[in-house]
Amino acid sequence: MTDRLRITGGAVYDPANGVDGDVRDMCVEDGRIVSSLPDDAPRLDARGMVVMPGGIDIHAHIAASSVNQARRILSDERTADPALPPALRDAVGRSGTGGTVPTTFTTGYRYAGLGYTTVFDAAVAPAGARETHAQLDDTPIIDAGFYVLMGNDAYLLQQVAAGERDRARDYAAWLLGATGAYAIKCVNPGGIELWKRNVRAVSGIDDALGIAGVTPRAIMETLADAANTLGLPHPVHIHCNNLGLPGNVTTTLDSMRALSGRRAHFTHVQFHAYAGGNGKPWASGAKELIAYINAHQDVTADVGQVMLGHATTVTADGAVEYLLHASTGRRWVNVDVELETGCGIVPYEYREAAAVASLQWVVGLELFLLAEDPWRVLLSTDHPNGGTFTSYPELIRLLMDRAYRDERLKDVNHKLLAGSALADGLAREYTLREIAIITRAGPARQLGLTNKGHLGAGADADITVYARDPDIAAMFATPRYVIKGGVLVVEEGQLRRAPPTRRLHVRPTYDDAMMRDLSAWFDRYATIALANYPVAPPGDAPVPVGAA
Amino acid sequence: MSQMPGGGLVEHVTCLGCGCSCDDIAVAVRDGRIAEARGACSLGSSWFGDGRVPQTARARASTVTVEAALDAAAALLDQARRALVFLGIDISCETQRAAVEIADTLRAVVDGMSSSTVADGILAAQRRGRVSATLGEIRNRADCIVFWGSDPATRYPRYASRYAPEPAGLFLPAGRRGRHVVSVDVDDARGPADADTRIRVAAGQELDAIAALRAVVAGRPLGAERIDGALGDLARTLTAAHYVAIVYDAEPGGLPPQPGRAESLTALGQELNAVTRASVTPLRAGGNRVGAESVLTWQAGYPMTVDYSRGVPRYRPDDGPRALVAAGAVDALLVVGRPLGIPFAIDGLRSVAIGPAASDTPCEVTIDTGVAGIHEGGTAFRMDEVPLPLRAPVPGPPVAAQVVRALAQRIAARRARRS
Repeated sequence: MTDRLRITGGAVYDPANGVDGDVRDMCVEDGRIVSSLPDDAPRLDARGMVVMPGGIDIHAHIAASSVNQARRILSDERTADPALPPALRDAVGRSGTGGTVPTTFTTGYRYAGLGYTTVFDAAVAPAGARETHAQLDDTPIIDAGFYVLMGNDAYLLQQVAAGERDRARDYAAWLLGATGAYAIKCVNPGGIELWKRNVRAVSGIDDALGIAGVTPRAIMETLADAANTLGLPHPVHIHCNNLGLPGNVTTTLDSMRALSGRRAHFTHVQFHAYAGGNGKPWASGAKELIAYINAHQDVTADVGQVMLGHATTVTADGAVEYLLHASTGRRWVNVDVELETGCGIVPYEYREAAAVASLQWVVGLELFLLAEDPWRVLLSTDHPNGGTFTSYPELIRLLMDRAYRDERLKDVNHKLLAGSALADGLAREYTLREIAIITRAGPARQLGLTNKGHLGAGADADITVYARDPDIAAMFATPRYVIKGGVLVVEEGQLRRAPPTRRLHVRPTYDDAMMRDLSAWFDRYATIALANYPVAPPGDAPVPVGAA
Repeated sequence: MSQMPGGGLVEHVTCLGCGCSCDDIAVAVRDGRIAEARGACSLGSSWFGDGRVPQTARARASTVTVEAALDAAAALLDQARRALVFLGIDISCETQRAAVEIADTLRAVVDGMSSSTVADGILAAQRRGRVSATLGEIRNRADCIVFWGSDPATRYPRYASRYAPEPAGLFLPAGRRGRHVVSVDVDDARGPADADTRIRVAAGQELDAIAALRAVVAGRPLGAERIDGALGDLARTLTAAHYVAIVYDAEPGGLPPQPGRAESLTALGQELNAVTRASVTPLRAGGNRVGAESVLTWQAGYPMTVDYSRGVPRYRPDDGPRALVAAGAVDALLVVGRPLGIPFAIDGLRSVAIGPAASDTPCEVTIDTGVAGIHEGGTAFRMDEVPLPLRAPVPGPPVAAQVVRALAQRIAARRARRS
């Protein structure tokens, strides 16, 4: 254990505090950043190196019941990627298997090995929350939380139908606390419920969903207002309707406009930024979408970059996975879950020879390179959907190294790239400051994590130290040091410690009057007793809620 | 809910008597014993019993303290060339997690009940995927339920009343009357007596019948002469339904079901989803078997038969514990959980048993613990992979999760001292 540590002589990138590559010492004491330490404190020589806060993943799938369903069927790919136990000094190192959906221990080790110290699972079925906590208990090193799925929850939809928006808000507050979640997730609002009724397409956000008064728009408004009224640290996290379909940029823009004036986060927008459709070929809708995001401060997004290679698509959005199965003939899992949500899984490969995969790769890069405010357009691959989190260093290289990017662009299929901004030439190269924003400071700000994503006094001592390398991907793939909560986790590039983790969750208050109605609902329709529904509250104190 | 020392009524107790995992049992406790499990079926009542379990710890035929037995168990397992860790039943996921950690540390082989009962279905899912639904979806949505070669009444007594077809659901306000129940009788394996439609299939022709159904659903009939009238009618019934639930018993009498059934039904279910919505779900026996698959999957990546002998998990679905023991490939055994029904002989192995009634085994070291859901809490998975909390209406015996965790720590400490 390292109670005190002075990291000396590194170039510090701490955008939240306006520090941009200045050479300065960072002081760590009892798990926190402090402004100074006595001269005799232990030192870590970071001269010539780059110092950043620990990485924060705002959107990944690492510990949901759906993730375990994916692991179960991927026995073939994990056989090729066994993961030896690390030689830890403070804990038993655990073996595992990797592939696109690594086992829990391997997930924690590999994230930490990349300098990431905080990760959020972006889609947990309420009924599966108990399993997610157990999986996260077996996910070492990284602090973690999750978003709980509400956009197709039958009880919530009934409240929307009845115009009971206060009760909907109270229900959302109860469900967040009952599941130990961090934020509200809305996947394909209303569309999963429709899929369960064999209605396979939503044409737009004003489609009637078969329940009077319920439309995707009404669901999104209800959940956005709930999150904002409750003062949650992260606003509603929206996966729009029509993921992965040509022409869907219209739906995405309509969704953003619908919530205009409300704080909302739109996730993996790459998958929602396609023009074309209705007989016209697929095309990039990135310019149109990013222009809207650039101009609207209320909107935040993560990109959901597609990385060429193997991936596993795993989503609550079951209908889209049926289409992927039907069009590729690949293995397919569907699970309809307890009047709450769904789950679909199809293993996939984005081939550079394929026109649509190439377009998806280009659309993501365009969104990054045309974004004017890195604080609001964050790095993600929607792991493992667009690619795995282990591909982040490669993605960072694509953003920072134009020559490399242009070489890769030559290799992809150009059939659908007519009029693409990237194909026409985008010169921008991300700076280290901007990388620190889209992987650290930005996610922390949008998640309302005041003690993370920066290196000011009082912050959690989650720090990554990179040795500079002309190959940017190599630099970001192998940090020299990683400090988590003040503990030296990676030493000389080797994983050495696995300190205790923290569960990030909220516990907003609500009007108890809702419980009588909910209890009657459970009696009529649920297969789990209401008394057995809530998980044991996580041992860590909840993150505070309430208006800032 | 009250839980007084020695007596009281504990409500909302989850029963692990079968995979239904009914969580509405009220357990009346008097004088530290279970007087009644209210709401439980006959299977559940016998699973709860009176709450008395043996509470001894033994090492080499002597009664010892739990601590001394743990020391002996750690020494025995640490010295083994190659151990087999077997996950029995009636243990929580917390216990399973610690047991798999032991297997990883020991570079052992670890397996549970599933490889000898549902391997066929697991392998089918790994080839083809699954179309599944939780019981709540079936209850609220399924207007056509096909019981394939199984009647839940005997082995899953409350399935019909809690899940389907009897209850009213959100989209089935008329309950049973709103559902069409089909019984596909495979030889003597008959479906529910009150089915609306009954079809008889000879076991030898079962897979052909499923293939024919699938072809008709896909609009590619194999030829009229291959489909008898009843199967053609069934195909029409299925495609006309809003939501089809095909239900089969994956563990009839603890024996593997018809080989190929799971894969064929999954293929049929996937085909049905091109035209309507459908799920194919197995009925699973009790004791948190699904929890063992889930824990193994998130820790090792495979739901059964994991070999850690090379320091990393390897999947050995073709060499289950029975084969490994028969081949003399293991020299020590750790059974965690109720040891009944271990599908292989343990003669000639050095052995440790930790779990309910461990002392009933001939193992060299035994530590009796409570039963998950009766004497200790934790988490267990229902047959549809929904995790449920366990309660402890009669606490008292050593807690399996704590005992197995303590063993993991002792073994890790031994290994750390040597390295």
